[in-house]
Amino acid sequence: MKRSLRSWLWRVPLDQEVDDELAFHIDMRTRELVEKGVDPRIAREMVLARIGDASRLKRTCVDLGRKREREMRLTRWLEECREDVRFAVRQLRQSPGFTLVATTTLALGIGANSAMFALADATLMRPLPFPEPDGLVVLSEFWQGQPGGAVNPVDFVDWSERTHSFTAIAAVVRGGGSLVGDDGVAEPIPAQAVTSRFFDVLGVTPIAGRTFREGDEGPTPDVVVLSEGFWRRRFGADPSIVGRSTRFGGQTFTVIGIVPAGFQLELLGTTSEGSSLMWTLLNSPTDRSPAQRYPHYLQVIGRLKPGVTIDAARSDLASVADALAREMPGTNKGHAATVSPLRDRVIRGELRLTAMLLLGVVGLVLLMCCANVANLLLARATARSREFAIRSALGAGRRRIVRQVLTESLVLAMLGGLLGAVFGAGILKAAPSLIPTGLIPSTVTVGFDSRVLIFCALAALVVAILYGLSPAWQVTRLSAVQAMTNDGRSVTAAGAGFRRALAVSQVAIAVFLLCGAGLLLRTLLALESVDSGSRAGDLLTMIVAGGGPGPDSDPESMWRRYEAFRREVEQVPGVSAVAWGSALPFGGLWFGQNFEIVGDPPRLPADRDMSGYQIVSPSYLPLLGVALLEGRGLSAADTAGSPEVCVVDEEFVRRFLRGRTVLGTRIAINAMVLPPRAIAREIVGVVAQVKERPDEPQPQPHVYVPIAQNPWWTATLIVQPADGRAEALTPGVRAALARVDRDRPATVIRTLTALGSEATARPRFRAVLIATFAGLALLLAMVGVFGVLAYSVQQRTREFGVRIALGASGRNVLGLVVGNAARVVGTGAALGLALALAFAQSVAAFLFGVQPRDPVTFASAGAVLVLTAIVACAVPALRAVRIDPVEAFRNE
Amino acid sequence: MPFKTPNALLHGTLDALILKTLAGGPRHGYAIAKFIEDASDESVIVEEGSLYPALYRMERRGWLEAEWGESELGRRAKLYRLTRDGRSQLTAETAAWRQFAAGVSKILLAQ
Repeated sequence: MKRSLRSWLWRVPLDQEVDDELAFHIDMRTRELVEKGVDPRIAREMVLARIGDASRLKRTCVDLGRKREREMRLTRWLEECREDVRFAVRQLRQSPGFTLVATTTLALGIGANSAMFALADATLMRPLPFPEPDGLVVLSEFWQGQPGGAVNPVDFVDWSERTHSFTAIAAVVRGGGSLVGDDGVAEPIPAQAVTSRFFDVLGVTPIAGRTFREGDEGPTPDVVVLSEGFWRRRFGADPSIVGRSTRFGGQTFTVIGIVPAGFQLELLGTTSEGSSLMWTLLNSPTDRSPAQRYPHYLQVIGRLKPGVTIDAARSDLASVADALAREMPGTNKGHAATVSPLRDRVIRGELRLTAMLLLGVVGLVLLMCCANVANLLLARATARSREFAIRSALGAGRRRIVRQVLTESLVLAMLGGLLGAVFGAGILKAAPSLIPTGLIPSTVTVGFDSRVLIFCALAALVVAILYGLSPAWQVTRLSAVQAMTNDGRSVTAAGAGFRRALAVSQVAIAVFLLCGAGLLLRTLLALESVDSGSRAGDLLTMIVAGGGPGPDSDPESMWRRYEAFRREVEQVPGVSAVAWGSALPFGGLWFGQNFEIVGDPPRLPADRDMSGYQIVSPSYLPLLGVALLEGRGLSAADTAGSPEVCVVDEEFVRRFLRGRTVLGTRIAINAMVLPPRAIAREIVGVVAQVKERPDEPQPQPHVYVPIAQNPWWTATLIVQPADGRAEALTPGVRAALARVDRDRPATVIRTLTALGSEATARPRFRAVLIATFAGLALLLAMVGVFGVLAYSVQQRTREFGVRIALGASGRNVLGLVVGNAARVVGTGAALGLALALAFAQSVAAFLFGVQPRDPVTFASAGAVLVLTAIVACAVPALRAVRIDPVEAFRNE
Repeated sequence: MPFKTPNALLHGTLDALILKTLAGGPRHGYAIAKFIEDASDESVIVEEGSLYPALYRMERRGWLEAEWGESELGRRAKLYRLTRDGRSQLTAETAAWRQFAAGVSKILLAQ
């Protein structure tokens, strides 16, 4: 190999070589003939004639030669690579400490990034998991100026008849069912009620049976579609279930099909616990009377016809909604409608922002990891400068040495990338229990897949180039003589400057992240100190269905059922009080109803004011500790037969009853009945304000109505424990409910405390995550600062020795080191604060109770940094002070 | 005029002949051709159009390596030498030839 390499290197260009070789051959042949007595000129002609087409021969030879050269170059290159890798591995094994620190740093950075990439990939980059997802849209009304408002069923029918931009539209609403298990206790089944074209719009292919079709509708549709997961878990993947009648929640349904496990459509308010296991058929209303046009509870999806743009569809729907508003101003005035991409409605702004925020932060952390590894490598390159010089003296080219250094970086990055992938997979495995429920819609899945793996590989490569270039560059600046004489200071001056710059940027990033973390932590603190308005201790809450679209759901039956449930639950040992309510403090839900004040000039329904509508039992307000401010609370004497009454809250009075006598005023407010109708109620009391969400921008008005006068399909059961924790009552209460009606299991079982902490779960998730990364960044920055200082003290040992010998005090030397540190930390901190000021506005959407440019936060971030910097500086500074001049000189 | 071996037959065996020739030591292209012609009493004529492509092909395969050196007359010439791979190839080709020739003889020389 060696010999052929050398001959290859020393050869003349191939073209000329073939010419020479053939010319030599022709000469020799000619000479041979001449020796045999042929005339020289004739001899040459004979030889040429024998060869024939000489140029073709030459071409063939050159061609073959070229191929050979290419192959040789590749072989040589591969050989060198193998050598480089082998050498790099040997080098890394010789310094296990360095290798461990560097790979761990990289693995942390790449691992965290891969996990965040998976999140961002699923939410920001990937299309929704439906066929031709670009054609999928949501049709909605505006609610408080934003798309996403719920749609009325009759309007939905009008929309599907009058628009012409969609191949089909379908409506979906949260449903529910239950299935009695082997233990005789019913298990609630999260379900969605959908119109017949729902699965067609989304393009879902069932794995067994079929999905809904228009003929399935009837007076009481009795067909259901199950999800694959539920079918496997509860029916053992029994294929014969399809077509069979099964009882769900006291009603008999025929299972007509199974849809794949991955299919979920989570739109605002359409699922109870994130995902749906069962789909029931929702009838299109046949009655189009105005009364039917009041309730708005549907979410509507549609598929655009091929070639129709979303803008065209938007103006199509808008004009239909306008026409409806003109035709039926009483119910539809002011109900504008719009079309938005399904993707935007499923992946909400908050999630998108959170994903971007996290990706940005971990990206910065990865940069810091790079900087630290670069620092380590630079220090190593300096220590190894003699080795490089020797290699270069032995004939290794500069490019060859750079390649060697880069290979080492690459091998390191591959190790880091591999470990990082394992780490990332671990994070993603643990993620479902860490990510707050509801942040990521069930429609998308976040997991470790080939895309994440490719990301890890790419990240490792980019990282290797980022941190590998600097030591490689430094190597190219070494002259052999400098390195051999080990004149350390001059050789490494440039490297030291670069390392200082790295440390400064690390400090800047750390301060930047600390500011962000500080803002989010202050937001969390502000949210957690918000008063819900309830003075209750820990209560157990759950949703109970007293009625539904089926039979036995007239108000009398429902009221009897709620009473039966209440009496049974009151008997459970450990229960001290029981109440019914609808929305809960910090429960995140708010039901609104239109109303007008009796005696005022009548208004069109669309022009009426709206208030929160709470259906509660008399014990509700006292149990939740909501203070009574005026008049009386609701009592057991307020029954279905007695005069209709209600209690309002402070905000209701402030907004709608200013300057009036509140008590005795009557309001006509829509009741929860079908068909909806307004009922005049006398205000008998005023209570304190309750918040549904901690970050409510302004208080919401509420009307509290006795449940006896308006029982509805569902109610929230609230149980107060006599002592101990509310959660412990759960089995007893569930059993009590099952004794009354085993087909009506409780859903959404939570304690009031859990509800409160769920309400702040997302801000807490963000704050904790960002604070963790900021802490990591701080640590990395301090390692960087420490490295730079320790190195400079080591390099300046002789200088300090001279100074001390000439009478400089420890304080003078300390001043030099601290001054050096202060310049690095100060520059970095100033840069970081400037960055934070510039980018503060980008997190404004996540903040509550704190300004984006909060001076306290920024000052604290700076203070935290300075304090940790002092710790990082202490060791190198002390070492400088303790320099013994004699020792310092002896070392040289 | 000596008997001219048909190209088709030569093609398969030319590589073997070159390898065999170089087994005796490094030679340039002309010398290889000359050696084969002489050694076969001119019953095998090596055409330049086959010889040089064969040499380049075999160099590419790593059986030969080439180096510029001095010819016996003091002129610069490209000398080919057998590599270790080339040597084992020669052994293989010789064995194959022996088998082939024996087979052909069995048929052609059968009574």
